[in-house]
Amino acid sequence: MSLLSESYGRQSAYDELIDAQQQPRPAAKALFAHLLRLDPSALAARRQSAEAAILAMGITFTVYTEAGNIDRAWPFDIIPRILSRREWEQIEAGLKQRLRALNLFIDDLYNAQRIINDGVFPCEVLEGSHHFRPACVGIHPPFGVWAHICGSDLVRDQDGTVYVLEDNLRVPSGVSYMLENRQIMKRLFPELFQGCRILPVDDYTSRLYDTLAALSPRTGERPVVVVLTPGIYNSAYFEHSYLAQQMGSYLAEGADLFVGQDDIVYLKTITGPERVDVIYRRIDYEYLDPEVCNPKSVLGVPGLITAWRKGTVAIANAPGAGVADDKVVYAFVPEIIRYYLGEAPILPNVPTYLCMRAADLDYVLAHLDELVVKPANESGGYGMLIGPRATPEERARFAELIRADPRNYIAQPTLALSTAPTLVGDHLEPRHLDLRPFILQSDQLHVTTGGLTRVAMQPGSLVVNSSQGGGSKDTWIVDLEEAPCSLA
Amino acid sequence: MLSRVAENLYWMARYLERTEDMARLINATALLLLDLPPGVQFGWDILLQVAGVSELYREHYGPPEETRIMRFLIADERNPSAVLSCIRQARENSRTFRDLLPAEFWERINALFLFGRDHASASAANRHDRYGFLNELIARRHALVGLLVGSMSQDTACQFVKLGNNVDRADMTTRIVDVTTAAILPQHDSLREAGGESLWVGVLRAMGAFEMYRRHVSVQVRSNQVVNFLLKNGKFPRTVKHCLGEMEVALALLPNSGAPLDMVRRARKRLDALRFDDLSPGLLHEGLDQAQKDLGTIHHAIHHEYFDPFASNRHAGFSAEPRPNPQLEGRHVSAPFPQSFRETSP
Repeated sequence: MSLLSESYGRQSAYDELIDAQQQPRPAAKALFAHLLRLDPSALAARRQSAEAAILAMGITFTVYTEAGNIDRAWPFDIIPRILSRREWEQIEAGLKQRLRALNLFIDDLYNAQRIINDGVFPCEVLEGSHHFRPACVGIHPPFGVWAHICGSDLVRDQDGTVYVLEDNLRVPSGVSYMLENRQIMKRLFPELFQGCRILPVDDYTSRLYDTLAALSPRTGERPVVVVLTPGIYNSAYFEHSYLAQQMGSYLAEGADLFVGQDDIVYLKTITGPERVDVIYRRIDYEYLDPEVCNPKSVLGVPGLITAWRKGTVAIANAPGAGVADDKVVYAFVPEIIRYYLGEAPILPNVPTYLCMRAADLDYVLAHLDELVVKPANESGGYGMLIGPRATPEERARFAELIRADPRNYIAQPTLALSTAPTLVGDHLEPRHLDLRPFILQSDQLHVTTGGLTRVAMQPGSLVVNSSQGGGSKDTWIVDLEEAPCSLA
Repeated sequence: MLSRVAENLYWMARYLERTEDMARLINATALLLLDLPPGVQFGWDILLQVAGVSELYREHYGPPEETRIMRFLIADERNPSAVLSCIRQARENSRTFRDLLPAEFWERINALFLFGRDHASASAANRHDRYGFLNELIARRHALVGLLVGSMSQDTACQFVKLGNNVDRADMTTRIVDVTTAAILPQHDSLREAGGESLWVGVLRAMGAFEMYRRHVSVQVRSNQVVNFLLKNGKFPRTVKHCLGEMEVALALLPNSGAPLDMVRRARKRLDALRFDDLSPGLLHEGLDQAQKDLGTIHHAIHHEYFDPFASNRHAGFSAEPRPNPQLEGRHVSAPFPQSFRETSP
């Protein structure tokens, strides 16, 4: 195909849309048939209209610099990432299974700790945990669910296997871009949406509202749901205001809320105090309540944790849910699934070496040049060692760090992340990507249809983070069985 | 509606109004200074006095001088009343309620800020560029107002915008009258009439009021008549009386507006009682002083009722007394309200 760059013949990574013979995979056939019929200049024109739409819709993320904060448009690639419905259903089932098990695990850790008493999960891992919150011990949140919104990062290896790379159980972000990307694609390629069975994504905000509303401590009334944001200087402020707007709920900062002496949370409105039932917090635990967490926090609400402990307000994700957002815990997720659900894990973990185990530690130290080493409690790629790309000095320094604190390090083989065709100039080049679906749980479980595909815009780069030059793509789940794609 | 959102809407409107008023005032003053008869002792520093920033200016720049004053009033963000500071504040305030206003509003106010930021410094330096720049700011501000008039529901949010507009507008009108009369009165008798007339024509032009003054009052421009018009005419939108009327309309549509409404009505009664047949400096000064105090009281009543109702024990009957949070003391979304409009006259 003339659209593809030459590098498509040479790469070793799995490509999401193109097979080894440089032919489109079944789910991508209709897309490529359409792209090939387009005039070469048409692609560039559509990219320009995508950029104009992003600007007009005000889709931005905020970068805070010394010169003031800038709203920056996030790079968007107009070539979608496509998965078949059949494959997606497997992934979806795996994600639901995972979150169910993780919530049972968190609830157990803060209560009976059966999994530790039964010798499945080592006590010393819990003792070394940065995110275990003593203030949460003995609490039973509604439905036993602690992590109501989970963003799990999926990657695909060379052989086509989809792995879970990590589970974000604290305040995962990115879902608004998933929704906005679809809006843009519908404007750009209406003819494809007409001809193919591309499953819709836009029920997310109503599912999110249902998930949150089900947590309300008051029955029989329309619950008052609040999105709690750190404010306009947060990089995800756009998403916070977007979700509040879509759910028709209040967007509040900590200073807009107060806890009364009755331990009930109220909003400060122009007509007086209004009781709050559910808080979707987009603030880290450390800043939630200066009475219990960081006393210097100005983002939080004094007394919030007390109100939550008394059950007068629901908080999503519940305080303390981050205990399962730990890369050592991650390594135990397959065991956790088997222990609580008595099922075999549907989605595999990336093989993980725990440096706290003597045998693993020896292996890791002997193979630093092949492995990726990660600290257990950092996120956003901080403090990592990518062995194959590191210098001998860096590896030696890391060996020291690991020996000094083995509990805090894990190691994984270096994965060859899959790629997808991405528009560069007037042709398509492979770029590495991952996928972040969002899973909701309260009285019911729900998974976004697809998720947010993040793509590294630089050739060969594996960095997909928005703050470091990554971009995004729309993610299509295509139903091939029910109605084969045909464009008349 | 959240108290903070109401407060941000109100302040956004105040800052936009102030942007336009300052721009108009600077342009009118520039034209006026060309026309003054020789010997009239009044200059660019009158603008510093109107804005209430003479002291601040002296700290940063020393003696008054046109280019420096212009830079200070237009582009220097160390001056909270500078045009650029006002635009930035208006934009920052409007980030927090993007869902309440038409989507276009944010894009336009953002564009207004970017335009101001890119051109303020250069255009402060010479008169020709400055005139065009400030006129463009005024035009863009009008486009924002037009957008709201044409596509914003007349709901609660709209009333807070209206309140903010009119509080700042009335504030500016009283400042202008006060400073102008203070500038005219000390002049020698021979110059008072000629200088005074030019000055008042300039003021009327700055407020876009010249034609309306002629229609409603007289072809002649006399101090007492202009003062009477700018304070008490009920039809022209920039008069104090009209602004108070608009505040009353807005408040009547808001819940629990009893206290601020009382303040507005009290201010209007006092204004109605003022007589300007004999423009004695003492009486006028007293009247303006009272009008400015009344505006301050109205602002505080609005603030107390809607923006910070939990600061006092007003809800004492309510079981929910907020817990103290020392971290939040003194933390405000908006820049401080200029408490004192007038600086001590020399």
